Amino acid sequence: MDFTISTYAWIIPLFPFVSFLILLVLGRQMKGIASTISIFAMLLATVSALLLLGETLKNEAQSYTSSVFNWLDIGDFSISFGYEVNNVNVLMLVIVTVVSLLVNVFSKGYMADDERMTVFYSYISLFTFSMLMLVISDNILQLYIFWELVGLCSFLLIGFWYQKKEAKAAAKKAFIVTRIGDIGLFIAVILLFWYMPEHMLSFTAIHNAFETNAHGFSDGMVTLVALLIFVGAVGKSGQFPLHTWLPDAMEGPTPISALIHAATMVAAGVFLVAKTYDIFLASETALLIVGTVGAFTALFAALIAIAQNDIKRILAYSTVSQLGYMMLALGLGTMAAYSAAMLHLFTHAFFKALLFLGAGSIIYALHHEQNILKMGGIGKSMKVTTWTFAIGTLALAGIFPLSGFWSKDAILAQAYEHQPVFFAAALIGVFLTAFYMSRLFFLVFTGDNRSGHTPKESPWVMTLPLIILAVLAVCAGWVAIPGIGTFNEWLVGETMEEKIHWSILIISNVVALLGIGLGYKMFRNKTASSLHEQSGNGLQTVLARKFYIDELYDLIVVKPVRGLGAFLQLWDEFIVGGLVKGSITTTRQIGKMGMRLQSGQMQVYALISVIGMLILLLIFAGRRLI
Amino acid sequence: MLNSYLLLSASLFCIGLYGALSKKNAVIVLLSIELMLNAANVNIIAFSKYGINPSLTGHVFSLFSMTVAAAEVAVGIAILIMLYRNRGISDVTKMDVLKK
Amino acid sequence: MLESLPLLSLILFSPLIGVLILLFVPKHKRKPLQTIAILTTLIPLVLGAMLLLQFDGVNSSVQMEEELKWIQPLTYFNYHFAYQLGVDGISLPLILLTAFIATAAAFASVFIKKRWKLFFILLLLLETGIFGVFMARDLLLFFIFFEFTLVPMFFLIGIWGEKRRERAANYYLIYNGLGSAIMFIVFMMLIFTVGYDISTSSYTSSFDVIKSNALDPSVFKFDFEELKTWMFVLLLIAFGIKLPMFPFHTWVVKVHREAPPAVVMIHSGILLKMGAYGLIRFGYEIFPEQAVEWATVLAVIGVINFLYGALLALMQNELRSILAYSSISHMGIVLMGLAAGNALGMQGAVFQLISHGLISALLFLIVGSIAERTRTTALPELGGLAQRMPFLSGVFLFAGLASLGLPALSGFVAEFMSFAGLFEQMPVLAAIGSIGIVLAAVYMLRAVLAITFGNLHAQHQSLKDVRMMEAIPMVALTAVIIVLGVYPALLTSIVEQGMAFYVMVKGG
Repeated sequence: MDFTISTYAWIIPLFPFVSFLILLVLGRQMKGIASTISIFAMLLATVSALLLLGETLKNEAQSYTSSVFNWLDIGDFSISFGYEVNNVNVLMLVIVTVVSLLVNVFSKGYMADDERMTVFYSYISLFTFSMLMLVISDNILQLYIFWELVGLCSFLLIGFWYQKKEAKAAAKKAFIVTRIGDIGLFIAVILLFWYMPEHMLSFTAIHNAFETNAHGFSDGMVTLVALLIFVGAVGKSGQFPLHTWLPDAMEGPTPISALIHAATMVAAGVFLVAKTYDIFLASETALLIVGTVGAFTALFAALIAIAQNDIKRILAYSTVSQLGYMMLALGLGTMAAYSAAMLHLFTHAFFKALLFLGAGSIIYALHHEQNILKMGGIGKSMKVTTWTFAIGTLALAGIFPLSGFWSKDAILAQAYEHQPVFFAAALIGVFLTAFYMSRLFFLVFTGDNRSGHTPKESPWVMTLPLIILAVLAVCAGWVAIPGIGTFNEWLVGETMEEKIHWSILIISNVVALLGIGLGYKMFRNKTASSLHEQSGNGLQTVLARKFYIDELYDLIVVKPVRGLGAFLQLWDEFIVGGLVKGSITTTRQIGKMGMRLQSGQMQVYALISVIGMLILLLIFAGRRLI
Repeated sequence: MLNSYLLLSASLFCIGLYGALSKKNAVIVLLSIELMLNAANVNIIAFSKYGINPSLTGHVFSLFSMTVAAAEVAVGIAILIMLYRNRGISDVTKMDVLKK
Repeated sequence: MLESLPLLSLILFSPLIGVLILLFVPKHKRKPLQTIAILTTLIPLVLGAMLLLQFDGVNSSVQMEEELKWIQPLTYFNYHFAYQLGVDGISLPLILLTAFIATAAAFASVFIKKRWKLFFILLLLLETGIFGVFMARDLLLFFIFFEFTLVPMFFLIGIWGEKRRERAANYYLIYNGLGSAIMFIVFMMLIFTVGYDISTSSYTSSFDVIKSNALDPSVFKFDFEELKTWMFVLLLIAFGIKLPMFPFHTWVVKVHREAPPAVVMIHSGILLKMGAYGLIRFGYEIFPEQAVEWATVLAVIGVINFLYGALLALMQNELRSILAYSSISHMGIVLMGLAAGNALGMQGAVFQLISHGLISALLFLIVGSIAERTRTTALPELGGLAQRMPFLSGVFLFAGLASLGLPALSGFVAEFMSFAGLFEQMPVLAAIGSIGIVLAAVYMLRAVLAITFGNLHAQHQSLKDVRMMEAIPMVALTAVIIVLGVYPALLTSIVEQGMAFYVMVKGG
């Protein structure tokens, strides 16, 4: 028998889970040990994930599925829990474990002063466990369960500093907005349950059913299910119109933003669409909507990012925008575009985590200052952070030969071939991305120091993850250099013909460089005084207020619900309560009428009985007569 | 012959009933009740003499009923006296403690 | 040896042993009183575990039946009334739930500050009454136990409640008395129409006879069908009041708000479940066709309950009221599951009964802990409790999440099953209902975050975290909620056995 690691893949999530349990029991004690336990567990998980990756690289496109136990038995059908190992899952496993490990290490420095560090690490461990379980789920219901659990961890970590009013509001918002999306997924799961042959919910069964068209769905139903799944993905991945929670989620500690709100959880939406891609392929309409939403979000979020001043919010909108790219690619409906989306997910995880951790390092050095207008001149004193951040910026902008370039180029090429409109949107997005990132970079690292603090380079536990991520941000894209890298074949399992669009390669680079150039020209070496002139024209206000989406939602969703609630409150008190009170008073009144007869006068009683007897007599006598 | 007895007893009963329902003085109410009882007695005796099966049963029963009436009056008068002693009333409309 | 024990009767009357002992303890000695009460509630819990072990999960009939002829046939009516007990897949989980929550409530009675002796006696009497409701296999016996629970509950609310306790107790008694009266009418109609035992040609009130007669139209010559509809609707109202079903919910809010937390644990955790249990046992089991006919109505009411409760919970500024409306909302899920009428929905409904019982018991335990320390449950007066009471806040957050249906906890399983069931039958209604899932998240998080997050009020700086007596039931309830959420097959395998009757009728 060959020893295969695949069969033991379920062990990987157990490491963080055990760590979670230990930390949970510890409570708030043992601050020193907490990080060690968590980091050690993550190290084990990462090593196992890498071993697994090594194995899948050797045996091409071999997947392993196993159901572990029956979760629910209803009559003659059952829903089981299990795990699945295939190349897409392994890719995600590696991303999640590597980023989580680095974030764990980083947090040891970043959170060093926090008295609830143990709690923090237990949440991170729980998150990593849930995310890994989500990734290796073999059926969509199990995925949904862990989908919600990662949402929970995200909620807990956003609200980690629970005394802060903003953190409380942001945590609540994140949970509720994503839950709106989750309802879509919830309904989709139920519909799949009823319409799939033999109520099978496993991804393999979905794949088989839709590939051979052997499912019980009508065309409209397929579109509906696909769109409902997409609604879930929209919520989790912060796509328009459910994107509002993600920027607010930046209230959480920065390492969390890197792990959850940049690299892993928000990408789960993309992962979900990729996992159920066969359903989308069966519906043209659904694909078009996915692509449109993706393209729109990519542009929309990039526009907003230009006018933000909070370093983390800029990165958050950038994340929204990049996830839009992935959705755009998925909306193209070809396997090449699919693999481009997954490639972008892969590279984005590293460079965006890098950027967030870099931002964390800056924020740490500046004593939790997040406004880029109040930074500046950091480049001189924080060399490592500056250089790694620069790499991240270039990778995000898509400059040759960094990782972001290859993945973005793959998406652009596919869009160019299939949907020119999307291509145009994506190209504008490239320009905007380059522009807002250069704005961020030059405002933060060049010019005068406007912060009032003297920044110092962060300790090695924080810079080491930055360096590793920087290396990954440079190299991760090389697995898919057209003609050389074999990422696509490995992922999809089939060789596909690849054209290299030299023109697009060049155009996208030129556009990105233009964006950076413009940013350089506008924001290089700003002094404190020169920034004040910036106060904005109309368009800038609209952008800074994020197109008034939050206000709009408040107006069309929150207010009406509150109004309805207030109305029902009155209804419950006066109509329903009134009915109850009404029946009480009626009963009382009837009682009072009886009381009035009860005068205490024997003679009256006697008179009444005599009259009664007379009436009876009349009735009986009258009857006789008739 | 029976009719005239019955008429007598009916008028006695009505007078008694009227008195019992309308008079305020408790003693007169009691007297009226006696009147009604005696109307019944007249009826009983009349039927036992001129009824379908004349017998002595009626006479016996009228004696019974007179005894009962006497006992009742004794108790009634006693209550009235007690009431008068304790609360100083003999007006039946003021005897309404039952209501409370 | 073990098999020969009358296990059900033992469980039923074991709390009375405690009552007997308590009678001889001086009434000012709090410690021994509480110890005895807790120990007594442990007896049915242990016996319940034995019951579970002996229960045959494959066999689809009523088990462990016990019978004792009580009122011998009268010559004129030839009327039977017997002490008959039995359990099946629906009542067994509820009996276990009762034993469990009664124990938790006995622990939670640390919040009671006066007249302990009477409190514990009433609590144990109440427990016996509830056991009786879930075990009775005779209509009149069921009715007697059903009524019996009103008495201790009335005093528990009226003596140990908040400011307007007497009013709440009266509401409780009047509403439930009305429901019981309607129920009694239906029971009498049943006994005198189909309560006729053909083999012995005598009237009887046994459930099984009535059920088999009612299901067999050839037995009776007169037109029974129209009467059946009436009886079903009356039963729906009778048990709907208890459930509570919109618009009969006013009393529940009052009781939740006024009764002491330990009592609400039992009230919201178990007593409300008697309504749903009665509806399944009598409504669905005796009148399956009518249940199918009225499914749409039931589903509409269910959805209304679910959304109405959620919206009102959103508007409350007081924790108990929020939880009261949340209970109403969650009972909507039960109705939706029942309305679906398929295996998934029906099991989902029963699962929800158990799950909501556990979760609301936990929530009210927490309410008790908070109210005892801060003397208030109004949201504006609370905040930042996580700073001083991390354990309590953690459990509170957990309970809130369980209540809003977070996967891997029991609430989700129930929600999933009920919704999945209803989606097969009435997808539009189910889709409308699913809005409530979001609303649940909104009101629950609002409550939990307002109390635990944010800044601590100045007067709460010296609060202490929970004591051992509170922590034990909290941890136990938490554990069960997780176990049921992670491995629901544990419960569904039992419930499935009890549901076979209905799904079979409907399928055929």
